[in-house]
Amino acid sequence: MARRSTEEVGMNMTPMIDIVFQLIIFFVVTTDLDRQVFNEAILLAFSPNGPSIEKRDPRTVTIEVDTKGRIYIAHRPIDKDMLTNLLRQARLSGGQTTPVQIRGDQNAKHESVRNVMQSCGKAGLYRISFVATKEKAAPRKP
Amino acid sequence: MAKKRSPRKNMESGEIPMTPMIDVVFQLLIYFILTIKPVDVSAHLDVFSPSTKSAPSDQKPPEMLKVEIYQGAILMNGTGLDMAGLTKILGKLAAINPKQTVMILCSLDSRHNDLVEVLDACAKVGLTNLSVGSMQ
Repeated sequence: MARRSTEEVGMNMTPMIDIVFQLIIFFVVTTDLDRQVFNEAILLAFSPNGPSIEKRDPRTVTIEVDTKGRIYIAHRPIDKDMLTNLLRQARLSGGQTTPVQIRGDQNAKHESVRNVMQSCGKAGLYRISFVATKEKAAPRKP
Repeated sequence: MAKKRSPRKNMESGEIPMTPMIDVVFQLLIYFILTIKPVDVSAHLDVFSPSTKSAPSDQKPPEMLKVEIYQGAILMNGTGLDMAGLTKILGKLAAINPKQTVMILCSLDSRHNDLVEVLDACAKVGLTNLSVGSMQ
C-alpha cells in the first residue's frame, strides 16, 4: 500500500484521516448538550471557592431566576404555583432527597430567590443548592 | 502513463471510495470547531432551607452564627463588616468549630450576588452547615 502511494506521488491520507477521526470523537464526546437547556442570559455570581459540580444527580431539578425575578425551568417561564406543583411531582417521582439547583442571576433580588425556596419548602424538598461560576471560560463577547 | 484513480477502478479492485467519507468527516470537523464554546465551570453551594414544620431542637443558640445581608451591608451577629473582615472572622470561628451552623438571613431587596459571596466565604473557610432564610 505504502509503495503504491509513493509510486502515484500522492499523499498518504491514512494518518490524516486517523487524526481527523480522533478530533471528531473528541468534539462529539465533549459537546455538552445540557448547556443548551440553560438560559445564557443569566449571569451567575462568582464563587471561586465553592465545590465544583462533577457528578449530577439525574433527579436534579434546575430552576433559573433572572434579574427581573422571573422563574424558568428549561427556558419555560413559570409562576410560583406551577413551580410548587412541578416540585411536588418531582418529589413524588424522585423522593424527598431530590436535589434542587437554583441558578440565580447575580443581580436578582433575594425576594425572587426566596419565592423559589418557598416553593421548594412547600413541595417538601430541602436539598437546595445555589449554582455559581467557579471558573470563567474564555472572555465572553459583550 | 501515470495511473489515475477513478471510482470505477476502485470498485473494480474492491476498494471503498474514501473521498466522499473524507468530505463528510471534514464537514463534521468544521461544524464542531465552529460551534464549540468554552464552558464556565460551575460550583454548587449547598444550603439548608429552614423548615417551618420541623425546627431542629438540638441546635444550641449560642453556637449559631447569624449573618444578615442587607442591600449593600453585611452584619455578623449585629456588627457591620466588609467581605474581607467577614471571611477573616469566619475563618477563625471555623478553626474552632467547623461544624458550626451559620444562619444567613437576607433582606428581600438584597442582591443574590451578596448571598453567593457569603456562601463562598463559608465554603472557603470550610463551614458547611449553612442555613439560608429571609427577613420579612
